[in-house]
Amino acid sequence: MPKYSFATAATVDEAVRLLNEPEVRSIPLGGGTDIFVALRVNPLWFDRLVDITHVPELHHIGVADGVVSIGAAVTFTQALESELLQGVAPFLACACENVGGPAIRNSGTLGGNVANAAACADSLPALVCLDAVVHLLSPAGERALPISEFVSGPHQTNIQPGELITHFSFAQPPAGARSAFIKIGRRRAQSISRLSIAAIGTTNAGGAIDYIRITPGAATPKTIRFTPVEDMLKGQPPTRELFVRAGEAMSAEMISVTGRRWSTPYKEIALKAITERVLAAIFLQEAQPC
Amino acid sequence: MLIQFTLNNQPVAVEAPSDITLLALLRDHLRLTGSKEACEVGECGACSVILDGELVNSCLVAAPQVSGRSVITIEGVRAPDGGPNDMQQNFISYGAVQCGFCIPGMIMAGEALLLKNPQPTRQQIRVALAGNLCRCTGYQQIVDAIEATAKSRARQRA
Repeated sequence: MPKYSFATAATVDEAVRLLNEPEVRSIPLGGGTDIFVALRVNPLWFDRLVDITHVPELHHIGVADGVVSIGAAVTFTQALESELLQGVAPFLACACENVGGPAIRNSGTLGGNVANAAACADSLPALVCLDAVVHLLSPAGERALPISEFVSGPHQTNIQPGELITHFSFAQPPAGARSAFIKIGRRRAQSISRLSIAAIGTTNAGGAIDYIRITPGAATPKTIRFTPVEDMLKGQPPTRELFVRAGEAMSAEMISVTGRRWSTPYKEIALKAITERVLAAIFLQEAQPC
Repeated sequence: MLIQFTLNNQPVAVEAPSDITLLALLRDHLRLTGSKEACEVGECGACSVILDGELVNSCLVAAPQVSGRSVITIEGVRAPDGGPNDMQQNFISYGAVQCGFCIPGMIMAGEALLLKNPQPTRQQIRVALAGNLCRCTGYQQIVDAIEATAKSRARQRA
């Protein structure tokens, strides 16, 4: 007797219907790169996998009226190769390029990355910087939540049973915005983030920073923008000295959230360093890996 | 459940449980043991196959997920006479094979790369192999063999 059954959804409506059939605990299956790993260590938590990867609209990446939309079943490879995303949110494309190796990127999806909600999820810092909105569908209708409310903690989200993430949306960043993503892993590829950082910003005609969003990954239990540091940067001319102070402020902010943990002696220094680098990449045009 | 797909360019229909991975389907139900089972968490690449033209870890694909799709395994990579193809021959010539366990995955990663990018740089080859672990060779010979294959195929196309 198989431990679980399998169904394939051809449309979003069929996926939602299958996910809500009574007496069958169903979960959506994207790339499977988290589910099949979790199955090895966790007791079975579903009766049926519902494959959503054949639903065309869940693979859509588009922009309309200044709002960018990314389908939940878009793979990391599709995202990193998307000219639209490379143009409007290069740090998100870069984050996707930093996930796992090619085979993982070909399978793993943005919807899965967010639903799995690991504190180290590579797509989260950029999506949080963008104030992305998570769009959910259930028999009760559509629901939209800011990503910072959707993800409530490590591997914890506010998704309700039977709800399907259909897509993410975010307002197109200001024209001329530059962004960067930096990941520290134990090796360059096929690694889990020890720490990462995403930032996006612009300067005004006078040369001062007038728009800045900065979000570290794997630094806090829930991936959040460090708004006190953003406030500190706003209105200032971008200089190395400012970025050094911003790095110190990022680490202080992280410790104010997490307290001093076993990893703090490392992360305190590392977060300061990647904060300086990510800001230099954006405002001083210093080269970064992607 | 009945799973019907194209395997190494041949249609197959196989009755299999719904709760197995593509790797188990290939190895245990279709007796194709060239794809190796090792880490089973997508870290080693030994189980790599090409699904609809893209490299995937078959240990992380649900077997029924390949219904109606095309899977190429290491058994489908060969010269017309059944012997090693040019890439496999280059792996031998360049000393890219020692214990051999990772090699089916390495060949699949190399072939998947050349499908998308027929003339990769060495750096692009290294990126393409980033999900495939080899504990014997140190990778240089594997990169050399794939690079040589890309160059000789480019010459043949010219």
